[in-house]
Amino acid sequence: MTFVEKYKDEIADILSRYPVRRSALIPLLYVAQRDQGYVTESAMQEIAHLLRLTPPQVYETITFYTMFNLKPVGTFHIQVCKSLMCALVGSDTVIEWIKTKLGIGPGESTADGLFSLSVVECLAACGTGPMMQINEDYYEQLTENKLDRILTDLRSTGTSPLKSGPFMWPEPVKT
Amino acid sequence: MTTPTAQMVRIMIDGMTVNVPKGTLVIEAARRVGVMIPHFCYHPKLKPDANCRMCLVEIEKVPKLQTACSTPVDEGMNVRTATTVVNDAHKSVLEFILANHPLDCPVCDQGGKCDLQDFSHQYTATSRFTETKRVFQKEYFSPLIETQMNRCVQCLRCVRYCDEVMDVKALAPVGRGTMTEIKHFGFHPLDCEFCGGCVQICPVGAITSRLSMYEYRPWMLKRAETICGYCGDGCQMTVQTKGQELIEVNSAHGAGRNNGDLCARGFFGFHAASHPQRLTHPLIRRHGALVQVTWEEALEYVADRVNEIKAAHGGPSFGGLISGRCTNEELYLFQKFLRMAIGTNHIDSSARYGHVNGLQAMQLVQGTHRWTVTFEDILDADVLILVGTNITETNPITGLKVKEAVKKRQATLITIESLEPVVDTMSNIANLSHHHFRIPTSDTHHAIVGLVKAVLEQNLTQPDLAQRHPTYVNAMTSALQQISWQDLQAATGIEPDAFVRAAKVAAGARRVVIMAGQLLLRSEQGYSGCLTLLDLLLLTGKLDAPGCGFAPLAEENNDQGAIEMGTVTELLPGAQPITNDTERERIAKQWKGELPTDKGASLIEMLERARVGSLKAMFIVGENPVGSLPAVIHAEASLRNLDLLVCQELFLTETAALAHVVLPAASSLEKHGTFTNTEGHVQAVRPAIEPVGDSRPDWEIFSALSILLNSPMEYAESKEILKEIRSLIPGYSSLGPTPLPPKVDHSAVDRYLTDGYQRDLASRYHPISRASRPDGTVRLELAQSLFHSGKLSTRSKGLLQVEGSGRLRISPSDAARFALSDGDRVRLSSTSGEMTTEVKIMERVPQGTAWFPSHFGQAAVQLFECAIDPITHVPSFRTATVSMMKVA
Repeated sequence: MTFVEKYKDEIADILSRYPVRRSALIPLLYVAQRDQGYVTESAMQEIAHLLRLTPPQVYETITFYTMFNLKPVGTFHIQVCKSLMCALVGSDTVIEWIKTKLGIGPGESTADGLFSLSVVECLAACGTGPMMQINEDYYEQLTENKLDRILTDLRSTGTSPLKSGPFMWPEPVKT
Repeated sequence: MTTPTAQMVRIMIDGMTVNVPKGTLVIEAARRVGVMIPHFCYHPKLKPDANCRMCLVEIEKVPKLQTACSTPVDEGMNVRTATTVVNDAHKSVLEFILANHPLDCPVCDQGGKCDLQDFSHQYTATSRFTETKRVFQKEYFSPLIETQMNRCVQCLRCVRYCDEVMDVKALAPVGRGTMTEIKHFGFHPLDCEFCGGCVQICPVGAITSRLSMYEYRPWMLKRAETICGYCGDGCQMTVQTKGQELIEVNSAHGAGRNNGDLCARGFFGFHAASHPQRLTHPLIRRHGALVQVTWEEALEYVADRVNEIKAAHGGPSFGGLISGRCTNEELYLFQKFLRMAIGTNHIDSSARYGHVNGLQAMQLVQGTHRWTVTFEDILDADVLILVGTNITETNPITGLKVKEAVKKRQATLITIESLEPVVDTMSNIANLSHHHFRIPTSDTHHAIVGLVKAVLEQNLTQPDLAQRHPTYVNAMTSALQQISWQDLQAATGIEPDAFVRAAKVAAGARRVVIMAGQLLLRSEQGYSGCLTLLDLLLLTGKLDAPGCGFAPLAEENNDQGAIEMGTVTELLPGAQPITNDTERERIAKQWKGELPTDKGASLIEMLERARVGSLKAMFIVGENPVGSLPAVIHAEASLRNLDLLVCQELFLTETAALAHVVLPAASSLEKHGTFTNTEGHVQAVRPAIEPVGDSRPDWEIFSALSILLNSPMEYAESKEILKEIRSLIPGYSSLGPTPLPPKVDHSAVDRYLTDGYQRDLASRYHPISRASRPDGTVRLELAQSLFHSGKLSTRSKGLLQVEGSGRLRISPSDAARFALSDGDRVRLSSTSGEMTTEVKIMERVPQGTAWFPSHFGQAAVQLFECAIDPITHVPSFRTATVSMMKVA
């Protein structure tokens, strides 16, 4: 079954939201990514056809945004923010920790298929850096200790209580 | 776009005052006073993007530097482009670009014509960056186009050109920031129109042509400005050569009628002339085989045989056929040679295959043999109507004019085409259409009739036409009443409402241009379709309105010239009817002789006469009737029956292989002359290389033969023939930058409205008979492919890499119906013959239709019946109903 057939209703709903057809591109790419964990070539072609775009135009959009994957990723997709704010408070160190603990660099996955690492642009949690997003969840104000606990939790239970909701409010400055 | 009425503003640039229309960009205003502001991403054809930041200038009272490419001028603006601040800004932008640009100029094909190289030299720019330069993974890009992304300055001109001008959208900037690279789709090699636009527009060496990779430096090359020989658009191109070697073709921005744009055929198709199989020596048939001889032997042999045959059977036992790819000078001399030295009126050219239909319709209705519009009128049109053009593939550059009119100038587009509007690897004009009538080519005429019917029924006719010519309007009205909307809807599958909407748009617009393409012109309804389109213009009062007109698109580069040189049997030079006695007298006087009085035979009639033995000899120049005509015409048997067949050719074609004498001719890259393009613009052809081997320009051969036949037509060079043409034919006197189209001849229009229309009114507007197509069959159409034109392009190695063989294009739904996938083999059979071929599934092909590219069509052509138009004698063999079967 093709991607468009499989998600017929959801796609129809998304298309109905946009007066300009091509505006539905990113929402549809999310659907495709949810299906396979990454956007497949055939999904790109189907979406291009649906929106009357050429496949290169769809491909261009996917490569611009870090939240779309063009190859399979692990069960837990670690996305460390590398933008300026996080970099100032040590995102490089976080990446190094992950490298040591999991043995993977940006763009790589662990052999067991559990973890993948990406470095991404700003995730709008600048007050609480360094931070990362794993799948849909934010983990903020990272320390080495916290990172260890997160990874252990994820390995054992598949989730971690350290996740901070949509995002953590900056703690009030103590005077 | 600026119009003459636009408000003018006065601005200062580096102390110089310049008056320009309001809205002009600063960079363009500066160019007018000779100030070149450095830039990468700006290009006059593209919308400003201001991404390279190279064109920064100082503008008084504006606090920061501004990009000259995106700032429109305003009254009193004072721009400075040469201050220290500006200079420093340019330098620092260059420094950023050079941070990543590899210094591989010694191995870069752009070296010597590179903007970055020039600016670096100008600003002595160096980069202080010591970090490692970015390195992209090198990937195979395409057979014809090479990318070296490390050199890219990310100006995105290629991407924008591909989208804005070509409407192909095959290129995309992939990734982000410094690591942005230009790619097609993922790891797939490029699949597109291969217009070469990205190669031409790249300011650096990031995108280059693989056909000339590592072969030259620009300063080693000799350049010739000439006209492309692949279609009627008549694009100006610069052919670059090293000695006898053809290296590269390009076209400068602003050059010619194409404004520097080319298509795949023009840009990558130039190698046909240097193909190793070119004929280099005259050949004579001896004991059944063609053997090499000298020119003297060959010409004397021809002259002797001509004298014998002429003495025995007279001049009218000769016939001549010439290709519309020859120059005007050659076409002219050919018909003069046949009419004067031989004494026959049996003359025809490739214009007979379709262009004659458009021409005769124009002559009958509006009294002209040329368009009354130009490419500029297409650009300025309010409504464009395309009928059976498949314009992207047949006349790609005229297609660009249509795209520009629709995309940039808001023209409304009405298309009657056998095309599904889908996005695929090539641009598709139906995607831009506002009123698209998807109709099989064989039913095109019904759709035109539908528009005319809607015009009449909705009272969209010009108000005073009914008063001035009531009989015409009444005759039309009653003829169309007999055609019911039900029948039209059944035949076309289109709702009456759609016709009414389109008719209202066309009738309500000020400037309407109708273009008829090959698919209509070469069809059985070619002539009547053109007349009906002219009826449409007449009824709505657009025929003689400024900016309005009918534009049949020429297939061969000089079909229009063939008509105007009198190289079809019914016309004298100047496209005057052969029956026009004053013209005959005038021409005979100038030629100092008598014109033959017999009524000439057209191509098919000549072949028929050859078959029955009344035609004894033929001269065939650059044409291949054996390969082009369907089996039912029996061209081969007819030509074998001749006592003398002389062929002038570049290659040993199926026809030349039957000849008694084969004379090697020079290609259009090897000779001087002129071509007349589809809009009637006469343009100079100049040699880029010397004639290959012992080949000679065709006119020299006619001239030499005429001397041997004792009616000398001596010319020292082709310019002397042009001089003679000028004295005979008005419109060839000056070769200006833009054509001056003729005006509609009102006496001809009146004649048409009074009784001219009656001749075939009944045959054009008759009730539609319903014919159903049996199951298991498809409608086969011989169609032009973008990558080929005629038979020469199939000798071009560049084009063969894109499309190396003929594949049957079918629609996805037919593929499903016949259980076929890409590359499967099918057998097609009709009542006339059968063939086996591979299929290629293309979404743009409508269901029930299959296209086969005509340039590989030798086998396919056997499947077609041939219908001959009773008035224009155009043989039509482009559509057939065939049954299709999968074979292992």
